[in-house]
Amino acid sequence: MDDLALHKFAISGPTLASMIQRLLSSAADVDGLLFGHVTYIAPSTLPDDSAQTSLDSQLVATISGFLCFPSLLSFYDSLGRVDSSRLSSTTHLNHKPLIGWFSSRRKTPLRPSMREFCVTRSLSSTPNLSLPIQNSDPQSLFAPSIFLLFTTPLQDQFIQTNQYRAFHFQSSRPCFNPLSIDVVNIGPAFRGHYGSFSPTSALPFLSCESRSLTPMNEDRNEETLIGMKQTEKDQSLLDTCAEGMQVGRLSRLIGPEATNYTSGLEDLYEKMLLKTESLARLVEASSAKVLEQENQNRKLRYKVARSVGIE
Amino acid sequence: MSFDAFPPFISAHLHFLINHFPEKIKVEHVLSGGKTFAGGLDRFTLLIPYCLDYIKWDVIYNAEFPLAPPDIIFGPEDEDFHPLHMTASVGEGDLKFQNILSDWNHKDPTRLLALIQELRDRYMAYQKKRVGEVDDDRLTFEISTICSREGIEMQISSGAEKPEEVKFAVPLMDMNINKMVHGCPWRHPQKIYLQVIYPVGKKYASTPSPPRLKLMSTTELRALFSIEDVKLPSWLDGMCMAEYLPHLEESLQKQVVEAVSLIDIRRHFIESLALLLGRPLEADPVFCRKATFLASSGSFVFLVHLLISTQFPKQQPALMLQSSQHISPQGIPKRSPLLSEYPWSPRWEASQMAERIFDFLVDESLNFKRFCNESQPQH
Repeated sequence: MDDLALHKFAISGPTLASMIQRLLSSAADVDGLLFGHVTYIAPSTLPDDSAQTSLDSQLVATISGFLCFPSLLSFYDSLGRVDSSRLSSTTHLNHKPLIGWFSSRRKTPLRPSMREFCVTRSLSSTPNLSLPIQNSDPQSLFAPSIFLLFTTPLQDQFIQTNQYRAFHFQSSRPCFNPLSIDVVNIGPAFRGHYGSFSPTSALPFLSCESRSLTPMNEDRNEETLIGMKQTEKDQSLLDTCAEGMQVGRLSRLIGPEATNYTSGLEDLYEKMLLKTESLARLVEASSAKVLEQENQNRKLRYKVARSVGIE
Repeated sequence: MSFDAFPPFISAHLHFLINHFPEKIKVEHVLSGGKTFAGGLDRFTLLIPYCLDYIKWDVIYNAEFPLAPPDIIFGPEDEDFHPLHMTASVGEGDLKFQNILSDWNHKDPTRLLALIQELRDRYMAYQKKRVGEVDDDRLTFEISTICSREGIEMQISSGAEKPEEVKFAVPLMDMNINKMVHGCPWRHPQKIYLQVIYPVGKKYASTPSPPRLKLMSTTELRALFSIEDVKLPSWLDGMCMAEYLPHLEESLQKQVVEAVSLIDIRRHFIESLALLLGRPLEADPVFCRKATFLASSGSFVFLVHLLISTQFPKQQPALMLQSSQHISPQGIPKRSPLLSEYPWSPRWEASQMAERIFDFLVDESLNFKRFCNESQPQH
C-alpha cells in the first residue's frame, strides 16, 4: 500500500486535556488507542490562480477519542506484535475507527523506542483495520499509522511540564515522520477548523409524523399496533440521548403545533442534559470501582516485584 | 553507585550486567517513571563502549509491571536502527534474540546482559552495513581488505554541521598483555587500538586526503605502557590500512615487550635502594612504579616517595620528601616539591643509581629540614 502524505493531525483542546489528565494520574507508564477520522480538506485560502486544482487539498487526521489501557502489553506482546483478536473486542466497543495509538512514559527522551516502532509497524500493517478517507473515493484507505508520544522532562521542573510529539508511520521506508499537531479550541479564531469535525453522538433519525393515537379508532387497530411498535422503538432510541422525553412530544416541534417551538426545544435540551448528568454519575461510580481494582492490582504487582529479593 | 533505590529485580539485572559485560559499562540518568517515588527507580541510560567511544541507550523498565521486559530508546543519530524489525526470512539468530524478549523472566538476573549483548552485536552489523553503503572507492577497498580482522568496529558519523566521516577502531596485536604481566590486577583484557578516521571522499577531489590516525589504549594499561610516547609511522600517499598496520604492529609489539621487561629493571632498582634506605614502607609490587621509604637525618624523620615513570631508566625517578614531624596549619604533613633534577645517568648500574640518590638525599634532607622549620609558625 502506498503511503499517503498526511499533512497534519488535529485534536480538540478538551480531548488533549483529558488525555493528559488521564496520563498524569496514572501510577506508571501507560498506552492506548486513538480513534477518529481522516479527511481531505481544501485549503481555506482560495488561490487566485485557477490552474491550481483540488490536488492541493490536504489530508488531515482528527482525533476524537482515546482509550487508555491500565497496563502495558495490552494489545501487543513484548516483541511489539499487535494481537488483533484483543484489538477487535476493544474497537467494537467504541464503534469508531482506529487511527493509531499513543504511549506515555515519564522522564524519557522524546523519541520512539524499539518496541514502539514495532507496535506502530504491526498496527499499520494489520489487515482489516484500515479506514476509509472522508471526502475521497471509497477505494482510498488509511491505515492506523499515527503514533502520539507523551513524556515529561528528565529533570524535575517547578512547573508541571508535559511534552508530546506526533508521528506518522511510513510503512514503505519504514520510518517515523514527525507530524504537526493542530490543537483546535473553541472560539472565533478556530471557526474554520470545525469544518472537519463531525458530531460523535448525533440525534438518531426518528419519524415525527403526527399520528393520532386515540384507541377509539377500532377499525384501524392493526395499523395502530404497528404504530405503537414503531413508537416504542423510537422511544428507546430517544432514551439513549435524553432522559424522560416522550417521543410524541417531538411532533410538537414540527407542523401546526410548533407555535410552542422554543419551549419544546428547551425542554428537549433540558432532558438531554439530564441524560448527560445521569451518565456522568454512572461513570463516576464505575470509575471509583475501577480505581479500587487498580489499587488492588498494584499491590499484587508490588508483591511480585519485591518477591525476587526475598527468594 | 548505590543500587538500593531500584526494585530488587532491576538491581539484580543491572549488577549482573555491569559485572559480566566484557568492557566497562557506565550507568547515568537513573530516574523513576512512577507518579510518586513509591515504585522506585526504573529507568537509566547505559553508556556502552563502541568503536572507542560510547553509545548511549536508554533502558526503560516499569517498576509497576515487573513481568514486562524493558524497552530501549537508541541514540538520536541511529533512528534507522531497528533491531526488532522482522525481515521475511527469520534466521536462527533472530529467533534467539526474539526469545530473550518473548520468554522474559524478571527473576533471571542474566537477561539484561543477554539483551544488551545481542543488541550491541546487531548495532555492529547495522553500522557495518551503513559503512558498506558509502559511495567512496577508497573506503570500499579498505573494507574489503580489512573486514576479516577480528574485533574491528566501524561507525559512520554525519551531522548537519560536519562532513561525513567513517571511523574504524582496529585492535592491534594478537597478544594477551594481561598474561605477560606477573600478578596482573586487571579485570578487563588490556588492548591497544588504532583509530582511523576517513573523511568520505568528494567525487571531484583528485587525491583523497589521508585518514586521521590516533593510538588509543584501555586506561589501565597506562601503568605499564604510555601510548602517548609512541611515534606513529607516517602515512604515505596512496597507502591502505593493510599496508600500514603490519609495520605499526611489529614496532608496537617490540615496545610492549620492552615495557614488560622494564618492570624487572624497576624492581631491581627498588631492591638496590632497600640496601641503603632499609625496607620500603610501601611499594607497588606489580608494576614497580611507586615506592616509599622511611629515612632520617639526625633526629629529623621523613618519608621519601619515589615515582618511577614507564620510561625508567631513561627518565630518572621523581622524588618527594614528606616530613613526619611538621604539619601545616591545614593539618597536612609538609612536603617538598617534586625533585627530578639531580645527577643521573641511565647507563649506571642499579647499585650506583641507588648510591647517587642516597648521596643526593643526604644533602637534600638538610634543605628540606630548614624549609620545614622556617615555614613552621613561631609560638
